[in-house]
Parts: sequence; structure tokens; C-alpha cells
Amino acid sequence: MNHSSRPTTRPDTIRARIYRFDPETDQQPRYDTFEVPRRPLMRILDVLDYVHETLAVDIGYRWLCTSKKCGSCAVNVNGSPALACWDEALPEMTIEPLSNLTVIRDLVTSRDDYEKTLASISPQLVRKEPYQSFPEPITARDFAATVHLRECIQCLACQSVCPVAAQPESGFAGPAVLVALSELAQDPRDGADRARIAGETANVFKCVSCYECERVCPSEIPIVSEAIEPLKRLAFRHTDAAGARRARAFLGEVKRQGQVNGAFVALRTKGLDLGAVRLGTRLLRRRKIDPFSLLRSLLGRRRAADAMRHTYESVEDKP
Amino acid sequence: MTRSYAYFPGCSAKGTCKELDLSTAAVADLFGIALDPLVNAGCTGAREFRAISEQLHLTANGRIIAMAEATGRDLVVVCDTCLLNLVETNARLRADAAARDAVNQALTSEGLQFKGTIDVKHFLWVLTDDLGEAGLRSRIVRPLNGLRVGPFYGCHIQRPAAAHQRPREDKPALDRLCEILGATVVPYAGANKCCGFHVVTTDESIALRMSSSHLSNATAEGAQCIVTPCPLCHTVLDAYQPDMERQQRRRYGLPILHVSQLVGLAVGLSAEKLALSRHVVDCAGLTAYLPDRPLAPAAGE
Repeated sequence: MNHSSRPTTRPDTIRARIYRFDPETDQQPRYDTFEVPRRPLMRILDVLDYVHETLAVDIGYRWLCTSKKCGSCAVNVNGSPALACWDEALPEMTIEPLSNLTVIRDLVTSRDDYEKTLASISPQLVRKEPYQSFPEPITARDFAATVHLRECIQCLACQSVCPVAAQPESGFAGPAVLVALSELAQDPRDGADRARIAGETANVFKCVSCYECERVCPSEIPIVSEAIEPLKRLAFRHTDAAGARRARAFLGEVKRQGQVNGAFVALRTKGLDLGAVRLGTRLLRRRKIDPFSLLRSLLGRRRAADAMRHTYESVEDKP
Repeated sequence: MTRSYAYFPGCSAKGTCKELDLSTAAVADLFGIALDPLVNAGCTGAREFRAISEQLHLTANGRIIAMAEATGRDLVVVCDTCLLNLVETNARLRADAAARDAVNQALTSEGLQFKGTIDVKHFLWVLTDDLGEAGLRSRIVRPLNGLRVGPFYGCHIQRPAAAHQRPREDKPALDRLCEILGATVVPYAGANKCCGFHVVTTDESIALRMSSSHLSNATAEGAQCIVTPCPLCHTVLDAYQPDMERQQRRRYGLPILHVSQLVGLAVGLSAEKLALSRHVVDCAGLTAYLPDRPLAPAAGE
């Protein structure tokens, strides 16, 4: 196979460098490079089909609907997630499986972990009232907040780039699961304890707000602002998750002294432990914490807080 | 011509990253940029207000913008997370009359009003766009030739894309700035990823794993320091670096600079002016690029 990186010589050719790995037989992954005749309006999937039909019958890749509905064909192209059935083939492509998911073979990744996590959040409508009959007594307004979330095709592009979901020990459910959860949490018919599920089962507060999920979503769902933040709001109001405590400590600090003192927010969130002492000592030693201003803000209440407390208090109870 | 802005330093620059406030003031002063701090401006809410109430988020940020508007000048910030909150609120309140009315109603008691007449800018953009390459070059006395700098952008100055409707740049502002200063930009995996700050008080190990990988990658590519426009990223990469060293069982010793400090080195400001001793990771290795004298030793050492 050709491993060289020379540029495509002919404009009528696509050069696809494809990740190959079968965990049952291979010690480690390799890359095979294929030259595919270029046709107008060619998609990534067309390239994979050509490779499969003509050059490497054993190549593993997955697709079903071929029309951006089923979400089964997402792969990494030149390092970033793409939908094979939807995105244009590039003249030079390195095609790899989505990151941070278990590879079954070549470009096919396992959905098992995702589905297990999804099952843990009760992904079905848990009705408050027994189902009566069709049509359901709901309006378009009831669904307005989740209309974008319903565009999710569960392709797992977001899940694959999430830096926290990439750490299974974090307990973070990941953006794709949170989109499903948020849709249910904002459904007026649902009666499950979605606040507890969001705060304690899905660990929504472990989202770092990096917006990587939004960057790669083929359905352009505002995942952070329309799925994750409504869940945080719910968990803030009804749970004692660490993130909810942190938000309360933060707001308390701002109301007390007009701005935040990071050290106090940390202390009020998780208390004083060895790590906090170690960090505090280090910061004091390098003058990153000034003991006098610490004392001032511990004792004092600043005029800034008085000026705006009224403003803050007039709005904080409105979602 | 004096450039003049309203300035919202944010909590980090007033607290655990005091060196950011000091070095920003020193650099602004040298370039004749007036940064007038807003008084009693409060807080943009980091990621917390948004998680408490959208109304609180919009009001707190609309209030800060309205205070800057009252001075008739654009608003400058030095924190990526403050930037995103303010930029998003500015766009939302300009476009959404109902949201604007609700905010303005809350602001009446303080005699403030959001009108949507000013822009919110990062100090980095003031340097690269408002001052520009020629303006920057005019004060460089010690080009950072040979210094290999790994840029760390931070999430909220680049994402979500919809919030940052800046003219498409062929190169990020931070890369352009480094090159103007004479430094060599070192590309590395993770430069545009997340530092993990927003979970560092609730689950430190997540953030440490994320940021230690950035430090490893930057070190492997030969970066001698990292420069970041965000004090929250600075806090994780610098203040928590010993924790990452403990977690990963290896030594990094990679200095993390604020944008204003990197500029300060090139325009001849002293280590004291740039408050370089107020870092957890020693910056002594960068002494060669200092114009006058070696770094002052850190307090208590």
C-alpha cells in the first residue's frame, strides 16, 4: 500500500488514506491509501463505496439511510467529525473512526457505551398522567424550547470530541445523552425526576462548556445553550450536586461583595481538603493570593454589592 | 491620538491573576491606550449565572455593557469567559427587543440603559486590530527572536462560532501577535482545546488530565512557554501545573504567560512591571528575552 504523502497528481482523482484495524487479528492499526476516480458532487460515502466495491472488499464502514437521518455513518475526516453520507469528499482525505469510541473494525465504532449511558437516564417519556388518546393535548409552544434538540440524529460526533466524555471515570454522560435528556426534561408530559437524573446520574455539571460539541454537530444544535444549560438550571434548583453548590456559592459571593473571590467559591463548594491547602499555600507563596485582600473580602461587604444586589435579586428567580 | 476604552478586568485579574491587571495596565500605558475601569460593575457570571437564570445572565451582562455605554466608549476585557458572556449578551439584546426591555426595566433603578451602541473587545484585539501591526512594531525594542511560543487560545474567544462574528482571519489574532513580536509560533495538538477550568473546583482530576495533555504536546513540539489570552486557562495551566506534574508523574516546568506579558517583554518592560514573579511556574528561563535585568525572585523564596 502507498503510504507516501505526495499531493494528488491528477485533479480527477481523490486520494483517501483510510484507517484499518481489526482488533481480533491486528496488533495495531495501519493506514491504506486508495486512489478513487473523482465524480461531480461526490460524498465521502461514495468514496468508501468505491473502495469497497473495487479496491478493498473487506473494508469496514457503516451506513444506512444515506440521507442524514440515521446518524450511523459519522467518521473523522482530516481529524474532525463528518457525516459520510452528507459531507463532500475532499481531494485529500484521511478517514478514521470517530475518536474516543471503541473500534469494532476499521471505521466502525461501538455504540455500546453510549447506549448503556443513554439507558441510565430513562430515555423514554415517563408520563405524569396516563396516555389518553391521540392527539396529545400539547401545543407547538410546549415544544418550542426543544425544537432544535429534536434535530439530533445520534451520530455521536459530539460525544467523540467531548474532552470530558473521553474520560469514562468522570461519570459525565456526554453531549449526545444530555440532548436526549434535555428534550425529555423540557417535555410538559414527562414526570420523571429529571433534575436528579441530570445532576447526579448524568453529572451535567461536569460539562466544561468548551463548545466542541456544537462545533461538530451536523444538525447545528446549540447543545450547550439549549440542551445543557436548561439541565443545569433544573439541577441547580432541585439538587445538591457539586456544580449546583458551586453556582450557589458563586452567586452568594457576588451578592456579598460585588465580585467573586475564587478561593471562597472553591471552599464553599468542596470544603477544605489536602488539595485545597496545598494549592492555597502555593498561591500565597507566589502572591497569587493576597492575604490582606482575602481578609478584606472575608470581612467586608463592598459598595458594589449594594449597588447591584437589588438588580440581581429582581431577576434571579426568573428562569 | 489616544485610544480610550471602558475596562472590565473581571475577577481573575483583580484576584488570583493580579499580574494580568498589572501587566495590562503597563502595556496599555506604554502604547498610550487609556483603559478606564468601570466602578461597581459586578460580574459577568462566568458559567454560573447562565446555569442559574437566563434573566440573571442577561441582566448582569447588560448592566456592564450599559455602564460602558454611559461612558460612550467600547468595552475591553482580558478574560475569554467574560468576553463570551458580554459578546453574546450584546448581540442578543441588540436583536431581541423583549429581552432588552426586560433587562432595561431591571436597570432603571440604577439609571442605566442598554442601547446597543458599543462593541465588546478582548485586549488582544485592541492590540492586533485597533493598534495594529504598525502601532505594535513602533514600540518593539527587544524582538522575541528565537523564543518558541505555544499559543493557547481558550474556548470562549473562539467558540461558539455564532457568537464571534469577526471578519474571517487567515490566522488567529494570537498567532499574528506572536509573529509581530518576533516570536516563533509553535503549533501543537490542543492549542485550541479546553483547559478544564470550569470543572476544576468540582472535579479537579478531569481538568488536570485535559491540561496536562496540552502541556505534554506543547513541550514535545519544543515550546519554551505558552501564551494565553485567558486568565482562567492561565490558572489551570500555571497554578495547577504542580498538580499535573504529580498526577502525570513527570516534570513540565513550562512558563505560562498572559498576552500582555509577552507584549511587555518585547516592548522592554521590566519583570517587575510585568509582575512575572507572581506565577507558580518560574519564568526565569525567559530571562534571556528581558531587556534590562534578571527576574526578581519570588516573594518568600
